[in-house]
Amino acid sequence: MFFRVVGESFARNPRRKLLMAAALVLGMAVATATLTVVLDVGDRLALEFRSLGANLLVTAQSDSLPLEIGGVDYRPVDEGAYLPEAELGKLRTIFWRLNVVGFSPFLEVPVEFRTHARAMTVSRGTLIGTWFEHDVPVPDGTSFTTGTRITHPWWRVDGRWPAEGARECVVGVALAQRLGIRKTNSLALRAGDSDVSLQVTGILSTGGPEDEAVVAPLAIAQSLAGRPGQYRRLLVSALTKPEDEFAKRDPSAMTPVEYDRWYCTPYISAIAYQIREVLPGVEARAIRRVAESEGHILTRVSGLMWLVTLAALLAATLAVGAASATTVLERSSEVGLMKALGAPGWTISLFFLAEQILIAFVGGIAGFGIGVLLARFLGQSVFGIPPTLRLILLPVVLVLATLVALLGSLLPLRRVASLQPAPILRGE
Amino acid sequence: MFWRLLWQLLRASRGRLAVALVAVVAGAAVCSALVNLHLDAERKLTREFRTLGANVVVSPARAAGTGGEAPLLDTSVLDKIASSRGPEVVAAAPYLYVVARTTDGRSLILAGTWLDEVQRMSSWWTLQGDWISSRDDLARCLVGRAVARQFSLVPGRELVLRYAGRSVRLIVAGVVNVGGTEDNQVFVNLPVAQQLAGLEGRIGVVQMSVTGSAAQVEQMARRLAAALPGLDVRPIRQIADAEGQLLSRIRVLIFATVVLILALTALCVLATMAALAMERRRDVGLMKALGGSMNRVIRLFLTEAAILGVVGGALGWVGGVFLSGWIGRSVFGSAISPRAEVLPLTVALMFGVALAGALPLRLLGHVRPAVILRGE
Repeated sequence: MFFRVVGESFARNPRRKLLMAAALVLGMAVATATLTVVLDVGDRLALEFRSLGANLLVTAQSDSLPLEIGGVDYRPVDEGAYLPEAELGKLRTIFWRLNVVGFSPFLEVPVEFRTHARAMTVSRGTLIGTWFEHDVPVPDGTSFTTGTRITHPWWRVDGRWPAEGARECVVGVALAQRLGIRKTNSLALRAGDSDVSLQVTGILSTGGPEDEAVVAPLAIAQSLAGRPGQYRRLLVSALTKPEDEFAKRDPSAMTPVEYDRWYCTPYISAIAYQIREVLPGVEARAIRRVAESEGHILTRVSGLMWLVTLAALLAATLAVGAASATTVLERSSEVGLMKALGAPGWTISLFFLAEQILIAFVGGIAGFGIGVLLARFLGQSVFGIPPTLRLILLPVVLVLATLVALLGSLLPLRRVASLQPAPILRGE
Repeated sequence: MFWRLLWQLLRASRGRLAVALVAVVAGAAVCSALVNLHLDAERKLTREFRTLGANVVVSPARAAGTGGEAPLLDTSVLDKIASSRGPEVVAAAPYLYVVARTTDGRSLILAGTWLDEVQRMSSWWTLQGDWISSRDDLARCLVGRAVARQFSLVPGRELVLRYAGRSVRLIVAGVVNVGGTEDNQVFVNLPVAQQLAGLEGRIGVVQMSVTGSAAQVEQMARRLAAALPGLDVRPIRQIADAEGQLLSRIRVLIFATVVLILALTALCVLATMAALAMERRRDVGLMKALGGSMNRVIRLFLTEAAILGVVGGALGWVGGVFLSGWIGRSVFGSAISPRAEVLPLTVALMFGVALAGALPLRLLGHVRPAVILRGE
């Protein structure tokens, strides 16, 4: 009997249910879309932050004090410690290997250079050796392509990047202007007793100290410095989780359970620790300017997005609640008839609630489907990658839809249930 | 007559109207808070990005074909920068780097700067000991963490630095942990480095921290470059690029969500207003039976809806100001300043939505009064 009444109500008057269903579908679609996006926004933005460049600096532990100004080391080659290039593949074997987006080793050599354009001028300067785009063999048999193209995305070249293994280089824009070097010239470099002649393939502009230097593949700097297979410092760009109170604690003072939790969370300190584990004799430090601002801004933005999502949920709740209140109020004459026929108040309420739950389920599922599409579109247009589909949101959205529909109808139901049937049936 | 009718109408159904008003006010509050937030979020976020430190560098122009070392600037540049300094400049500090030697012959980099300005663009530095907050303090220095470890320095120790026959005796005021190049440097006030290097009145570069969007920073750099002929003023690309990219992403994201919520709230208000309009059927029937022209009847109800929309929008705007203030305080730690232009926007939006909600009334135009009055 009960189900027949509910069924009849849907069959006889589908248009009345339409407003409620439309509000539910739309509200739940927005709720699903915003929740899907907000759950992903941290990861997506962390990846975007990698355009700020490296956030970890790896140097030799027993190093002398670097004479660095603005990130370029001015020490002579015979001073300080070096690290072996061959071990770098191990960086892709750490626990958080997939979070290591890229890394570039650097070796700076003070050089004298002669341009062939002005055969007689000899000037002093710095040659920076690094990887532009280099395939690193990883111990598990795969290979990983990395270099400054990934860790220094703001470097721009007028011309082309030097090929790995070729005797080519790019010249910083300030140095090129000062010495009148063009991108087809060749450049003779001398460091100590070794000489090399390089073809200039482009003019590099970085907005940093590299504008005053010559940048060449690492192997060339190594042979000039007489340090084959070695580098001085390594910049690592890694995806990290913003540091919280827990991350600031000293790992050596943690209980084993806390230590595991710390080790298995991509905090920058945990990644630095794991780098120290695979590369013996190194010191890995967070570049705090980048790491701290990143954490700071990420926390702010995700807080903001959560609040906006909350507002979206609130708006969805309001819309569904208002619609369900309207549908109940519209049908007060039906209630009057039922009451006149002797139905007790709770049966009437139950009948309405069953109807609302049914609509909530159908509307919630449809809304979830539309919301997933909406989230895909949003993610695609904002970040270029669709967000991951989270099926866990389906039950969340269904429960939300049911709750909201029930809440929205409870208040008007109480009013309707207390009405006298006679005035309603008279149409007053 | 018209206004008396309207007044009676509003008074008679104040219960129903109150419900509709609550819906309109809630919708307007959410809308105005979000629009406010959207307008202010970018400015707030660009300020957050200033935790990244300097983003504009003033250096000597790259004169073509001069060769040799990079030239130095004259301190008179600083006066010119100070005179054209607007509120968008958070901090500006000159730098002069000297490769000095310690008593045991090891070299390190001494950076002469204005330490009070540096403090304002180095939020990520952590300090052990005291900061040197006066520009005239020439007896003390700050040492980077790596320097402190290498030379076993703690606050209160003495550090002697030499350069080309001159020497300077400094007391370590504090040890800074910067997590970058600066960990390997010693910081002093500018005159100390100038005297040690024998370069009185000279500086290497000026670093500035400027708030604003990438375009605003670019514009400020161009203005400054025009005021400083012969000098090179450029934004630091690493920061400018990343900031611009991130901000545009965040902006689009917030905008998209705000549009979704606006649509949803509008729908909610629309539903309430439509329900209200449907309830008015009996009143319409009565008025028609009494000989009221349909035009007049509709005008009456549209005015009612418009009043509801305007009053609800204005009240909602006040609520939105509080809401966005609260959001600003909880996310950014500072309230979001209310924008006056959001008020007309909110009111207009609610006005439009309320009128749209009253549209079903038009359908009542061909309703026969007798049928309605019979209660069918």
